[in-house]
Order: sequence, then C-alpha cells, then structure tokens
Amino acid sequence: MKRAIDLFYRLLQILLTVLMTVLVVPVVLQILSRFTELIPRYIWTEEVARFCFIWIVMIGSMIAVRDGSHFQLDVLPKPKTAAGQAMSRLIVHGGMLLMALTFVIFGFRFAQFGLDQESELTGLNMFAIHVAWPLAGVAFTVFLGEKIWADIALLRGGGHGRA
Amino acid sequence: MGALEVALLLFGVFIGLVILRVPIAFALGLACIPVFFIDERLTPFLLLNEMLKSYNTFILLAVPFFLLAANLMNSAGITDKLVALARTMVGHLPGGLGHVNVVVSMLFAGISGSSTADAAGVGGVLIPAMKKQGYDAPFSSALTACASVMGVIIPPSILMIVWGGVISVSIGGLFIAGIVPGAMIGLSLMGAVLIYAKVRKYPVYVRASLREFLRAVGSSLLPLMTPAIIVGGIVGGLFTPTEASVVAVLYALILGVFIYRTLAWRQVPHVFYESARFAAISLFCIGTASAFGWLLAYFHVPQLFVDTVSRFGGGVTSVGLIVALSFLVIGCFIDAIPAIIILGTILAPLANSVGMHPLHFAIIGVISIAFGLVTPPYGLCLMIACALGNITIRDAMRDVLILLVPMLGVLLFVILFPEAILALPRWIMPQFVH
Repeated sequence: MKRAIDLFYRLLQILLTVLMTVLVVPVVLQILSRFTELIPRYIWTEEVARFCFIWIVMIGSMIAVRDGSHFQLDVLPKPKTAAGQAMSRLIVHGGMLLMALTFVIFGFRFAQFGLDQESELTGLNMFAIHVAWPLAGVAFTVFLGEKIWADIALLRGGGHGRA
Repeated sequence: MGALEVALLLFGVFIGLVILRVPIAFALGLACIPVFFIDERLTPFLLLNEMLKSYNTFILLAVPFFLLAANLMNSAGITDKLVALARTMVGHLPGGLGHVNVVVSMLFAGISGSSTADAAGVGGVLIPAMKKQGYDAPFSSALTACASVMGVIIPPSILMIVWGGVISVSIGGLFIAGIVPGAMIGLSLMGAVLIYAKVRKYPVYVRASLREFLRAVGSSLLPLMTPAIIVGGIVGGLFTPTEASVVAVLYALILGVFIYRTLAWRQVPHVFYESARFAAISLFCIGTASAFGWLLAYFHVPQLFVDTVSRFGGGVTSVGLIVALSFLVIGCFIDAIPAIIILGTILAPLANSVGMHPLHFAIIGVISIAFGLVTPPYGLCLMIACALGNITIRDAMRDVLILLVPMLGVLLFVILFPEAILALPRWIMPQFVH
C-alpha cells in the first residue's frame, strides 16, 4: 500500500514540475505576440495560463498534505509522550479529513456542474477544472488515511515507537 | 442569525482549530462549513465555487513566477554579488556586516517580491558570515529577519499583487508607493545597527576605494537591472504584473544559466518544483480565505464593523491606527495572504467611509502585515532566519523586539503623513492616483 501511495505522490511531484514549466509558455506567447510580429495575437493564452495555475495550486496542496507542510501555528506545548503526540496528530488529521470529505462529497456535484459549462475563450469543458476538487478530496483522504492509520497503529502498540 | 453571531462562530471555530494545530488553510475552510448549514440558501458547494473563483485570476499567476525568479537568482548565487557590492558601500561603518545585511536585503527586495526568499537567500550567506566575525547569533538572525521584511514593501511585491488583485487597487501605484517606506525601514534598521555596533563593539571593514566600488557595481549591474525592468515595465505600461513576473523568470534563467553559468540545467527542475510547491501552499489559503471572507460579507459583518467603529467618530489617522493594529495582531497568528483577504474585506469599507486614499490604506496594510513575518508565534521570516542561525525563536525574540521599535516608527510616520507616501505615485503615474 505504501508503495502505491509513494508512487502517486511521486506522480504528483512530476506533474507539478511540468505544469510550472508549461505555465511559462502561454504568458511568453502573450508578450511575444504583443511586441513582435512572430506569432498572431492568440486570445487563448490567458485562459490556458489560468487553468494551469489552478491545477498547480490544487496539486501543490495535495503534495503539502503528504509532506505536512501546510502552514500551521505552534502555540500549544508539544505533548511529551509518543502517545500524546500521536493523539494530537490524530486531532489535526481528523479535522483535515473532514475538509477532505467535504471536497469529495460536494466536489462530485461540483464536477457535474462543470460538465454543463464551457470556458469563455477556448470552449474547454469546465469539468477539466472542476474535477480538481473531488480529486484533491480523494488525494487528501488517501494521504491523511495513511497518517491516521500509522498513529492508530502506534497507539494500539502502547505508544512506543517514533516520537 | 445576525452578523455578530456569524462572525463569532466563524472566528471562534477558526481560532480553536488553529490553536489545535490544524493548518490555517484547512481551519479557514472548516470554519465555513457549519455556517453553510445554518442558512438554507447556502451549501458547502459554495466553498468550492468561491475557491475556484479566487484562483481563476490572471494577476495571481505573478505569485509563483516572482517566487521562481527569486529562487532562481538565489540558486545562481546572485546574493554573493550583492554582498560584495554592499560591502564596498557600507562595510566601513561601525557594525559593517550588519549594514551589509540591510543593504543586501534592500537590493534583493528590488529584485524579488518575496520576503521569505529574501530571508533564505540573504540569511544563508550572511548569518554564518556574521557569526564568524563575532556578531551574536540572535542579533544576526533577528536583523536578517527584520531586514527581509523590506522584500514585500520595496517593489516588486507579492503581497501588493495579492492586495491589488483582491481589493482592486493599481498594482503599479502600490509598487511606487512602497519605495519611500521601504527605504525608510532600511535606514531605520541601519540606525539600529549603528547603536548595536557601538554598544557591543562589532567589527568594521576598511573603507573600499572608489575603484573597488565601481568594480562591484559592474559585476552586479545585470541583477540590479531587474527592478528597472519589472517596475519600469509595469509602470510604463509595457507589461501587466503577471507578464513582468515571467520576464523576471526568463531574465533570472538567462543570468544564471548562460551569463554567470552558476546555475546548472539539472538544478532547474528542482527550483521550479520547490517554487511551485511553496506558491501553491500560500495560494491554497487564498481559496479558503476567500470563502471565509465571502461569508463575512454575505452576513454584513464588515458593515457591522464600520457601524461600530464609526460610532466613536475619528478620521483617517485613527482608522489608520486601527488598520495597522488589526493587521499587526492577526499577522502574529496567520500567514500574510489570508490575512489580507479576511481583514482587507472587513477594513476596506471602514477606510472608505473616512475617505482614506486606497493606496494609503493598502500601504499601511502591507507594511503591518509584513511586520507579521517576524512576529511570533507565526513569523515565517523569523523561523527561516532562526533556522539558519541555529537558534530558537525564543533566543532571537529580544533583538527582534528592539529592532521592531524603529520599524514601528516608520509605520506610524506612514499613518500620520499620507502625503509623504502618495507624492511619488502621484508624480510618476498621476493617471492612477487622483
């Protein structure tokens, strides 16, 4: 199971790098077309750039759930025991899981809603964008499930193991 | 439910979750969910829709690009050139390397739009160098963190782009308005370094000759042209801010890969990945913060706030103080971007009601929220600088508080004298500033 999740995480990392590189292209085309005669003035460049950007934000947020790098505040003292730390992580990940499930449940309708719409400039079916939310919900759930599973196992084992 | 009850519910759930260490972006979204179920006209579907709407903005694309440009410059070792230049300029003053730190931050601020990139780039080079020369580690880290605040005040600035995109103010105008307060913060920090150097007897460099200075200028001329290209391009109407940010990326790539050859092609994908990841984490907050802000507006919370405050009367100055104080407080606890969206939405009608100029309001907001980058418990730049100095945040606190005094003085000046801030944008781009 861990191998499959690792693979999925790696895939997201590659996708993010590719999208960031691709994002440069439409904006460069936009500048080139304004200042030179090399290419015609496309109108789709702005929209393509925006859609790449939305995917970058959503994929980046999925990656950050796995590596635990979403910004958080550190005011409460850290629990001293491994079991206490596992409990406090369970609370955090449980809360995040609620949001993940909201994304899954309402994201399904959101994606369907996208099916009925086309984008203004390129005529792209908006499903291609809206689907990022249920997908993010699923990815969050998988990554959080992995963490929650590990902490439950740790608590069951009597709180020994990693601190 | 009335505005007050909704505001208490939203902020109560949000604060509770954040204290429990739920990430800020998630806490903002989760706080919205109960409210969506209270009113039958609302549904959590709107959370997703508001997120999509907030990301679907061309202007925000500038955020990952400016971050990428800064990271590329860092990876290409541009900071070393800026350090060499700053040393010939101010190295001979008492506390030489401290002044170098401030000046490099200022120069870097003109190249990048991100304070965290500034803290990481400048701190990575100068904190070890300062410690080696006998500067105390807490002072070195505190100074690096405080100086890096200029990253988002001196143009270009990611926070100004977000502000301009969300609250609809001219970004070119904002950039120009940031120059004077940014320079004042730099000078005030240098004043503080002078006092520190006298008290703690910090070392100085010998004064550089004019030739050495000119040589240093020559070798850092190309990176120093970045602000002229970006800000000049935007103000002169050549590029939109997003296009300017891409030009900055291409320029950084050309400098690093082809001219200085300090950046290998195989490093580039990693820099792209790290920039995209960090930008995505900050920007993901924009989505949930926008939904949070939308709910506040839907239940007329900003209006309640305006009505309550205006009962006490007061003009531009007192509202300026309220704006600064609110941003300073919230900046201690959450990231700058969601702070702008949530508080900006609440405070904009108030600023408007007393006739405060939108640029003045924005500059007060951006400076106060930038100070939040060095105030614990949540101060990203302070965290970075302390990690680089191998000290805890607690160790650096005393020096941060001392250095914040002159910086708060600058903020007070900005609040009291709007004309000093508005003069430059009025002169350079009168079409955007009435």
